[in-house]
Amino acid sequence: MEQGSRGRYRAGVAVVATAVALAGLAAWELSGGAQGSASAGAANSAPADYPTLPHTAVQISPSACGAGWTRPTAGLQVFDVTDTGVSPTDVDLLEPATGAVVAEVEGLAPNRSRPMLVRLAPGAYAFRCLQQDVDAVTGPTVAVKGPKGPGTSSESGTGTPAVVPVTQQDLIPATVAYQHWVAGQLPSLVGDVTALETAVSSGDLAGARQRWLTAHLDYERLGAAYGAFGDVDEEINGPRQDSTGFHALEYGLWHGASASSLAPVAAKLRSDVQGLQTSWATVQLDPLVLGVRAHEIVENAIEFELSGRTDYGSDSNLQTVQANLDGTAEVLALVRPLLTSRVDLPSIDAAMAAARSELTTLDGAPPASLSQLQRERLNAVFGNLVEQLAPVAAVLDVRRTT
Amino acid sequence: MSATSGVGRRSVLAGALAAGAVAGTVAAVRNGASPTTPAPATQGFHGVHQAGIVTPKRRCSAFVAFDVMAADRSGLLDLFGTLTDRLRFLVTGGVPDPLGISAPPSDSGVLGPTVPGGTLTALLGAGASLFDDRFGLASAKPLRLSTMTAFPDDDLDPTQCGGDLLLQLEADDTDVLANALRDVARHTRGAMQVRWRIDGFASPPRPVGTPRNLMGFRDGTANPDVTDSRLMDQLLWVGAGQGEPAWATGGSYLAVRLIRMLVEFWDRVSLTEQERMFGRQKDSGAPLDGRTETDVPNFAADPTGDVIPMDAHIRLANPRTAPTADQRLLRRGFNYDRGTDANGNLDMGLVFCAFQQDLERQFVTVQRRLAGEPLVDYIRPFGGGYFFVLPGVRDTNDRYGSGLLP
Repeated sequence: MEQGSRGRYRAGVAVVATAVALAGLAAWELSGGAQGSASAGAANSAPADYPTLPHTAVQISPSACGAGWTRPTAGLQVFDVTDTGVSPTDVDLLEPATGAVVAEVEGLAPNRSRPMLVRLAPGAYAFRCLQQDVDAVTGPTVAVKGPKGPGTSSESGTGTPAVVPVTQQDLIPATVAYQHWVAGQLPSLVGDVTALETAVSSGDLAGARQRWLTAHLDYERLGAAYGAFGDVDEEINGPRQDSTGFHALEYGLWHGASASSLAPVAAKLRSDVQGLQTSWATVQLDPLVLGVRAHEIVENAIEFELSGRTDYGSDSNLQTVQANLDGTAEVLALVRPLLTSRVDLPSIDAAMAAARSELTTLDGAPPASLSQLQRERLNAVFGNLVEQLAPVAAVLDVRRTT
Repeated sequence: MSATSGVGRRSVLAGALAAGAVAGTVAAVRNGASPTTPAPATQGFHGVHQAGIVTPKRRCSAFVAFDVMAADRSGLLDLFGTLTDRLRFLVTGGVPDPLGISAPPSDSGVLGPTVPGGTLTALLGAGASLFDDRFGLASAKPLRLSTMTAFPDDDLDPTQCGGDLLLQLEADDTDVLANALRDVARHTRGAMQVRWRIDGFASPPRPVGTPRNLMGFRDGTANPDVTDSRLMDQLLWVGAGQGEPAWATGGSYLAVRLIRMLVEFWDRVSLTEQERMFGRQKDSGAPLDGRTETDVPNFAADPTGDVIPMDAHIRLANPRTAPTADQRLLRRGFNYDRGTDANGNLDMGLVFCAFQQDLERQFVTVQRRLAGEPLVDYIRPFGGGYFFVLPGVRDTNDRYGSGLLP
């Protein structure tokens, strides 16, 4: 299974990606890199970005992780982290007591420096250096004290939110559960698509329209956003011009096409969903997809359903969105244990409830039929929902910690 | 064009022919009009009054009307707090807060890693609909705030009228506006939604004097002097003794009118006819009885409109009489240009903005007097609304509407 056309790139996780990154690095060095050799030891040159903030040059390598942080200070600041090791390195600034990370730089190239912006509250921190193919090294713990004296404390109390990273290991149970959940949904999808095909081939077009809706919502409930199921999703649920799948059938069923002309389309759809069911048994889902899916299903629903773009006659966009919400709720339920300490779950729950309630109120009305105020309300609840869901993907990004 | 508007046009033509003989023979009468004084320097976010009224216009603007989606009073309170925080940051500038691995970046990055200060001017207004029964604010409604109703020559589209809130954003570069809008929208998606939006631009002086509108005429010549604080207290600011709720002190009223100009039609009209519709010379901006832009027209010396027609725009809008002196308002409009219509004609015109102390006494009265003026054939007012401009946010502890929602 592909992780979607909107790929997430995690050089530190995927072995293949690492190889590519190293090859790219060699060519990069030969061409002089972006900064040129003059600033290769960038730690000593004047900071180009954030000139008004305190800067601290810090070494990143297995042998000197965090070296250079000698004058700890609270508040907004920049660490200019330089990879003084031999291969690309992920850098975390964390609270050693909890393992929670306040800042990260990924894939820092050898002999290169990048700014790490962070607002530090008083506390204890350390750098962690995760060089490729080497065990993580955590540098010395540094105590950051609050500013002294009156009138200087207004911003020292709150720092950048610290979040305990999620590892591949953490996500595997939920990923497997998601895979099983989808597998459990597929038989009814196949059954309902088969019933649709039967209705079409028997010339019962009124019945076919009803069954089309049932089968299509089955599929939408799976949360197949942005190519989650790869090329077969295009065949099953792509835009109508592909002349296959649900939307080609929809157009025909709601625009007076003959049963005989639609029968091959229905047969192909049935064969495609059967193929999906067969292949799903051997799929190995990337754990990365869960966090991505949690917000992309609704992003996809806004782009393609609330816009009315995928309405080819059935006027069922809002029912589709309801099915998409069901799929999102399933993903959220599976990753919930990972989210409780990492995101504002009550706000997410409230936003999900508000979205459901709005759909109930609108009762399946076609988006184009809504009044200006109805449309604004719909946009408000779904706009708020995707804003609330955005941190889910951020914190469920797969990270290396050891 | 309707039949009646066609008549209006003919009558102007006739007047223009009659006036030809005297054009240029009338001595300019003038006078002690104070030259346009440089406007005060741009203010920061805080102040007794909001910026964006007496501050100089910036080159680009966005007018965005919102409907409040917040369900109740506390939601509205949160919204005012969020708007204050975001606009204070966007106006003041600074480094956007890093969010680490907890969320996507807090800032779009469109303006670079540090948001430059002083590049944005923001103004927030409230429409009459905000004071309905949703938030329990009916009794706090500014006395003179109402919903804009159509004037005789209007062709209003309800979806481009009104709004619970209006945000007037100005900047010298459009990326600043784009960033500000993205930021504000992102932080308020659930609490308010865009009802209508129009972007405008301020033209530079061509070649000198008051900038021109898209009909080629100078627009805003007769504005009251914004550096005259006594005059501003008489014409612009809401203050004590006006019967307004106490919280409204320091505010003002804004009439926004989205006015399409039928520029193709206009360009097919003779210069004399154009000038007689406005009552000014197109090149210099001088009134037809004057020599320079700042000359004040002497309507009393032209009682039958032989020089400046009785229905010329400047004559109807500002008769320059003692009884109409308190009807003057501060025009601060922006030109707009946004695509084409089904006829292939350009959709351009004016985001007319007028600030004042009393909508009825000032804008509405003037607008009523303009009903049927010859110019109406060439313009089509299609949207806008009336808004109460909230008092300024005083300092870092204050927020928008602190007096309204304590």
